[in-house]
Amino acid sequence: MTGKFLSLKDDEYKGFISRLKQANEKLNAFNFIDEKEKNGKIISVKDNICVKGMPATASSKILQGYTPGFNATVIERLENAGFSVIGKTNMDEFGFGSFGLNSENLAKNPFNEEYVTGGSSSGSAVATALIKEHVSIAESTGGSISAPASFCGVAGLTPTYGVISRYGLIDYASSLDKIGFMGKSADNIREVMENTIGSDPNDTTSLSTAISNKKPNKLYVIDNLMAGINEGIKDRFEDLLVKLSAKGYKIEHVKMDYLEYSVPAYYILSMSEASTNLAKYQGFKYGFKVKDFSLNYNEFFMSARKQFGKEAKRRVILGTFIRSKSIKQKYYEKALAIRHAIIGRMDKILKDGFIIMPTMPIFTPKISEVKDISPVEAYSMDMLTVPPNLCGFPHLSFPYFYEKGMPLGAQVITDHFNDYSLLDFLSEWENDFQYKFKEEVS
Amino acid sequence: MKIGLEVHVALPTKTKLFCSDLAYENQEEPNSNVCPVCLGLPGAKPVLNQKALEISTSIAKALNCEINEKTWFVRKVYFYPDLPKGYQITQLDGAVGIKGYVNLNGKRIGIRRVQIEEDPARIIREKDYSLIDFNRSGVPLNEIVTEPDITSLDELKGFIEELRSILYYQGVNINQELKTDLNISLAEKRVEIKNVTGVRNLIAAAEYEIRRQSSLIQEGKEINAETRSYKEDTDETVSSREKETEEEYGFTFEPDLTFYDTTKLSIQKAVIASSVAKELAYKNEYSEKTIRELILFNKKNLSLLIGLSKDEFKKGVSLIEKLASFGIDDYSEEEFKKMIKQDISSLEKDGFLQLLGRTSKYEEKADEEEIEAGIKEMLSLDKSLLDRGINDGKAMGFMIGKVKEKYHVSGKEAADFIKKVIKSMLNN
Repeated sequence: MTGKFLSLKDDEYKGFISRLKQANEKLNAFNFIDEKEKNGKIISVKDNICVKGMPATASSKILQGYTPGFNATVIERLENAGFSVIGKTNMDEFGFGSFGLNSENLAKNPFNEEYVTGGSSSGSAVATALIKEHVSIAESTGGSISAPASFCGVAGLTPTYGVISRYGLIDYASSLDKIGFMGKSADNIREVMENTIGSDPNDTTSLSTAISNKKPNKLYVIDNLMAGINEGIKDRFEDLLVKLSAKGYKIEHVKMDYLEYSVPAYYILSMSEASTNLAKYQGFKYGFKVKDFSLNYNEFFMSARKQFGKEAKRRVILGTFIRSKSIKQKYYEKALAIRHAIIGRMDKILKDGFIIMPTMPIFTPKISEVKDISPVEAYSMDMLTVPPNLCGFPHLSFPYFYEKGMPLGAQVITDHFNDYSLLDFLSEWENDFQYKFKEEVS
Repeated sequence: MKIGLEVHVALPTKTKLFCSDLAYENQEEPNSNVCPVCLGLPGAKPVLNQKALEISTSIAKALNCEINEKTWFVRKVYFYPDLPKGYQITQLDGAVGIKGYVNLNGKRIGIRRVQIEEDPARIIREKDYSLIDFNRSGVPLNEIVTEPDITSLDELKGFIEELRSILYYQGVNINQELKTDLNISLAEKRVEIKNVTGVRNLIAAAEYEIRRQSSLIQEGKEINAETRSYKEDTDETVSSREKETEEEYGFTFEPDLTFYDTTKLSIQKAVIASSVAKELAYKNEYSEKTIRELILFNKKNLSLLIGLSKDEFKKGVSLIEKLASFGIDDYSEEEFKKMIKQDISSLEKDGFLQLLGRTSKYEEKADEEEIEAGIKEMLSLDKSLLDRGINDGKAMGFMIGKVKEKYHVSGKEAADFIKKVIKSMLNN
């Protein structure tokens, strides 16, 4: 099946761009909108993925002014398949955040601007909700596709780790980073995905394994994971399960060990890798440049790295601590063991069923409600999105309900390389579900 | 006295360790031989050069190391302007080879580790500023870490000679590329001399440091644990006045790379070549260290070395002609002949051996010739094997197995070759 994408004739283009820019002024979906006319099917790209000739900042001041001279492999493949990049979408700095709050220009929820968008692919979710027939190329490390997809009422697919090349992706945590897609039609997401998969000689961790669509008839609910969830969310989710069982799915309840450690394990591993991936930002080769050459090396690097936002600094400091020789065994190696233990347990039940759960444990919060919560409170909001991300399992967040006008999302997880089954599931869901959006730019 | 070395040599690959830029430093413009990977641009990812892995594994085998079947890389994190990613990709626990040794007149000098790593960029220091040339960034290096088993200056010299001959056969000329960190302790405290370039300086630095430490001991003074650097103009070592705290590099697994299988690499020929080289180097000890004598007195080895077939040998093809016929790399046949004829003994054995080592023809021949010699030796030791003859499949299988084991060769091709040799000998 092929999707249906917005593509514009020459005389329509200017009007579209000015409407998009106008909407962007209040929603901040884009860090950059390319005004040059495009012939292809319009897509947007998260600002941590390199598009030749467009700025790539990952919403960080330290990358202000950096314009890569090369395309990420996904972009190269999509451009060859007739897609055109309209612009670069807003995000939490380097992907660090669950609400979209770690960006200079805060992205706003298109359903209500007082509410968060979710993060870190905040702008991709907003752009997807905003633009007609849109797909945005996003990226998830620990839930950065599912969370904003859920809060902004769009579908978000995070593929199996390694299926989409990471070449040209500005790294957060290399062993966890996955490029994925947001859209509001399974056919659209499928068409984009089909044009991006496959191994890439420029990314050693990319894989050529064929992607299947084995449809299970079982849906597993992990009871102990549901424990910390808002009661209202639980009720809506129960209703969803009733609907799905009416469609012929068999619901089974299970318990799974070690899941309570998945969030700490995720943050230990991701911060550890992030602290090394961010070591390259030194203030003299690209992006922010330190102008004072009278400084010694340490002072020079420090004055460059002051440009990092608060959360980036926190993760570099904690990650560096975690890697230090004396305590590596205490945290890092245990986190690795937890990761393997959870992969083993999830793998077992994913052989004959999907796992299903709400995407987020709370209703979409107002910006004012989460602006000042502690880092640990914020991290705990990832309790449902982290397990599949930590283990590289493909997962889909799809909208299923509107609570007082705000969308709610649920998440289905499947076995490695069975990604297309999630798009089949979404197609099936879309037969009876109507996406709602406040306005759509076309 | 305890001496330990960390030796760095450049691996002779055409391209850099993690990208397809040329690996050798040329006389081109600074920063012209670079790409997103070796500049550490955001989004670029490393892809391992398989040739570097092959050569390094080969070196590790030649140094009698245990080879890690699955080898992997780590990030060594520190800030310095020559390090574009803020970390160096290197190896630690997952190093290509561990627990090896070099035989030195019956004594074993332990090799702790053989590992692959990338070279940082070059810093060019001007009077009141510095420039960085990334042409060198990402050039593949091999680090060889010894145990502190060297106990005299003579042993150090012997070890370097041994290493020299082993590395020649992997195409590495240590006269050009060698960079060493040297640990010397005459008493309890360990002194490290960092970044000594070249063999001559290494020996000179060690000589000076041994003298310095022994006179301190004689004077009843204490030796400080410290890092020193070597001054080429005066042949002295001076204190670097660095803080003696243990460096914290926050080593962590390199997640942009994967685990690499070393069991499938084609490195046998190079290993056999290097064992021939070792033998040559050993013979060299008492043969006045000239190639002329090798030619005169070690015909068997040299014919092996240059791939002179027995027929050619019998027909009296001269070694010099044979050498010249290779028309090796930098020299035309005429130039080469002239050079050798003029005064073979004046050729530095280093350069000479290196030229030979670069010919692939030699490696192929050496492989078969050496195995053939081995089979002959085996059959002469155990006459009963010959008696049981060719029709006894079991005996044949046993012989093939033995030869395979001895020369670390495997596969049907090797078995067929061994069979052929044995049969031809039975028929004679």
